[in-house]
Amino acid sequence: MEPSAKYVGRKVPSKEAPRHLTGRGRFTDDFLLPGMLHAVILRSPMAHARIRATDARAARDHPGVVTVLTTDDVKRETRPFKPGRYAAGLRKPIDEYASAMDKVRYVGEPVAAVAARSRAIAEDALELIAVEYDPLPTVVDTREAMKPESPPLYDELGSNVAWRGSISYGDLDGAFRQSDRVVRERLKLHRYSSTPLEPLACLASYDGASRRLTVRCNAQAPEVIYDALREALGLEHVRVIIPDVGGGFGQKIHLIRKYVVLVSLLAIRSGRPVKWMEDRTEHMMAAGHSCAQEFDVEAAVRKDGTVLGLRFKEIDDVGGSISTLTIHFTNKLNNLVNTYRVKAISLEGCSVVTNKCPVIPNRGIGKPGMCFIWERMMDRIAEELGMSPVAVRLKNIIPPSEFPYTTPNGNIYDSGDYPALLRRALELIGYDALREEQRREREKGRYLGIGVAIGVEPGGRNAARDMAIFPEMKELPGAGGVNGATVKVEKSGAVTLFLGSPQCGQSHETSTSQVAADILGIAPEHIAVISPFDSEISPWGTASANSGNNFHLYDIGAVHGAATRLREKILALAGHVLDTPPQALSIEDGTVRAASSAMKKVTFADLGKIAYGNQSAVPEGFDMGLQCTFYYKFPHAAPYMVPDKDHRVRAQYSFSAAAHAAVVEVDLQTGEVKVLRYLIVSDNGTLINPDVVDGQIYGSAAHGISVALGEGFVYDSEGQLLTVTLTDYGKSSAVETPRMEIEHHPVPSPFTVLGQKAAGEGAAIPSPAAIASAVEDALKPLGVRVRELPLTPEAVWRLIQRAGRPSP
Amino acid sequence: MKRELRVEINGRTCVEDVEPRQLLSHFLRETVGLTGVHIGCVIGECGACSVLVNGRLVKSCLLLAVQAHGKEIETVEGMAEDSRLHPIQEAFARHYALQCGYCTPGMIMATRFLLSRRPDPSEAEIREALAGNLCMCTGYMQIVEAVKSAAKSLKHGT
Repeated sequence: MEPSAKYVGRKVPSKEAPRHLTGRGRFTDDFLLPGMLHAVILRSPMAHARIRATDARAARDHPGVVTVLTTDDVKRETRPFKPGRYAAGLRKPIDEYASAMDKVRYVGEPVAAVAARSRAIAEDALELIAVEYDPLPTVVDTREAMKPESPPLYDELGSNVAWRGSISYGDLDGAFRQSDRVVRERLKLHRYSSTPLEPLACLASYDGASRRLTVRCNAQAPEVIYDALREALGLEHVRVIIPDVGGGFGQKIHLIRKYVVLVSLLAIRSGRPVKWMEDRTEHMMAAGHSCAQEFDVEAAVRKDGTVLGLRFKEIDDVGGSISTLTIHFTNKLNNLVNTYRVKAISLEGCSVVTNKCPVIPNRGIGKPGMCFIWERMMDRIAEELGMSPVAVRLKNIIPPSEFPYTTPNGNIYDSGDYPALLRRALELIGYDALREEQRREREKGRYLGIGVAIGVEPGGRNAARDMAIFPEMKELPGAGGVNGATVKVEKSGAVTLFLGSPQCGQSHETSTSQVAADILGIAPEHIAVISPFDSEISPWGTASANSGNNFHLYDIGAVHGAATRLREKILALAGHVLDTPPQALSIEDGTVRAASSAMKKVTFADLGKIAYGNQSAVPEGFDMGLQCTFYYKFPHAAPYMVPDKDHRVRAQYSFSAAAHAAVVEVDLQTGEVKVLRYLIVSDNGTLINPDVVDGQIYGSAAHGISVALGEGFVYDSEGQLLTVTLTDYGKSSAVETPRMEIEHHPVPSPFTVLGQKAAGEGAAIPSPAAIASAVEDALKPLGVRVRELPLTPEAVWRLIQRAGRPSP
Repeated sequence: MKRELRVEINGRTCVEDVEPRQLLSHFLRETVGLTGVHIGCVIGECGACSVLVNGRLVKSCLLLAVQAHGKEIETVEGMAEDSRLHPIQEAFARHYALQCGYCTPGMIMATRFLLSRRPDPSEAEIREALAGNLCMCTGYMQIVEAVKSAAKSLKHGT
């Protein structure tokens, strides 16, 4: 008999909620180990300087201090990180260590660390460390940084342009030749971050006798930490435990490795467990920002609005590190054509190092930028051709009849009905009536704007994508994607599930237990999902690496596979016990029953007793135990799993999509933008848990809206970060965050086990564009054009003032 | 020089010697072991460390432990009775009003304070009351719905 469909798609109690609601979540900072020391990190107050000397003697002598690390110690006792795929494109090998070496390149770069009996003592000692700096001229503006005379951050590179490259698909020259018009625009996105509420944290302990290092930390991708520790410290036995993580959003994937190495080194040197908890200011300065991106865009269009080709040049401000040089560029391949049928597209990238915080993955990495390009251009094309922005989008949109749809760069869009999403959004928001209201209100001096944007949320990563842009890569990055899960029937009859990925708020425990419950025929309350992730116990889940947009494909695939195998095993054993062929058995509530007789039944607990202890009661050839580990690989990874000769490669594997509609009111006097309505019509494929998916959509939309309307990092000309607190940074609270409305229009994926598609960062991708569109629409009578974010009251006020004057 | 601090925490008297410079948030976490008090900023911006002091909502990182001398403190750990969730906690669970769980204890305490003052708040009042508690995960929607629902449950319960 087939598995049930009792739990997938239904409302079930959250597995994570009870512990968090009672204050019993277990985060890294909650752990205490005997003899534990507390670490703090000294950070550069300068944006660009040479370190001449460091004198840590007074700090070492300070009562209660156990170990002090300077850059010399780090150089002597660790090895540099191997430049990973995030550093792809680096033209010369440059060593990057866990701390600064001879030079600091951004305010907040670590230059020393102290471990002491208490955090207070460690902080006192920090003030006793004297670092002598030779200040260097600071470079904060990419245009300035690119000039040949600009002071170089890396002497090895000779220029602050650390990478240049391009990639092209289709007949772009032909497209521009055949076009009636070229629409041009320069667009900009600023530096922001998801600022997880729990800053970075690490607790390291080292057993010198067996040379085993154990770290607990709030990293999103345990393999990054695992590899970094082995590389930097030359250790074989590294155990990575990831307890509850207080928000990730990509922020805790990469840079955190530096701090885990420093804390581990303190633990190795002191022989004591060492805990480090980043503070908020450190987080804002040094834990990574999303990249500021600038785009020069040209679209080749026909009079009827058809976009024949698109090309753009991108300048990325990657900050003071070469370890994430090209991620915001390469990720453009993931949603390169957004929802549109364009056949020719080319992009040219330029990564510029500046004296600012390094960039990191954050909610979509380059994808919000790619969507911003398309959606701003759609509005601009509509304006230039005198068409409605909706008509231009519908003219170019991929119709449902063409799925699965292969994009010019090799992505295969699995399923969707994009025109339906857009039309439904317009219907729900009452587009036509709103236009009428807008006209009436303008006469009264009230400026309403309606913005519409559509975007895809790609899911399931394929690291081989990078080879399309860097064919010289020597080491093939992980292609396709592999992820493990273990499912086990315990002797009690309860079920235990081990996931390959940690979680940081995406309800992995709840969603995976629903999937396993249906397959195994047992209620989710009898399934325990094991937390924390522990690299010595859990299977590896390198493909998912905790991202919401990968979880659905890989973790769900792995749990589905492991549970399916376990079900077969349960049925084989029960069939033997009940003397009934497995196909005549059904499982419900942890009991296997034969159709032939109500008396013929056996519980999971009975089967557990046999499988774990009674060799005489099993069928011939039965592998003892009721436990299955399954490593899922995506079965539809070909074609384009690795780039072909035309650089076509699947950057990701499933494509959720959503149409966003925003109604805003702009106050002409103050420049303040109020979001009156925000509506999302979303296709995330089969919904495993609608409440969870809604939560992911609300959260990522709220972030995108906040990014569009104000939050962001600001540096002064000396490279000093002016936004070191959440208030200065401009994070929206419950008051500024608008009410949001969601309607689901799922089109199941033909490629995934349950038809599920990504549900994580999705709504952060089109939301900045939707807000930009709405604000521009509101100010249309003034001729205002929105080309960059954030739209703070001041920025909007300036747009209004400039528009008020005749153009020069 | 440590000083004696006498406080009532979740209904139990607690006497400890504390350093005058220790913050209440750190005292509750480290000395008392109430790790539901979360630290997200230590400057009163994020609200993750919110507790009730003599029934008023306080960001415990903005108070020195010694300032709480002689006062009654309630933390998220004191909400559930005999392992039965408080109606506010139940409403948060029902509405999936949390993701990573880091802001959650503070949100629960802010909700408790709000509903103790205004049993039937409007959405605008709810959002205003939660403005000092940041959440980076949820976009606040399910939290606001949970607070409305908790208000209803509490009204019907009395």
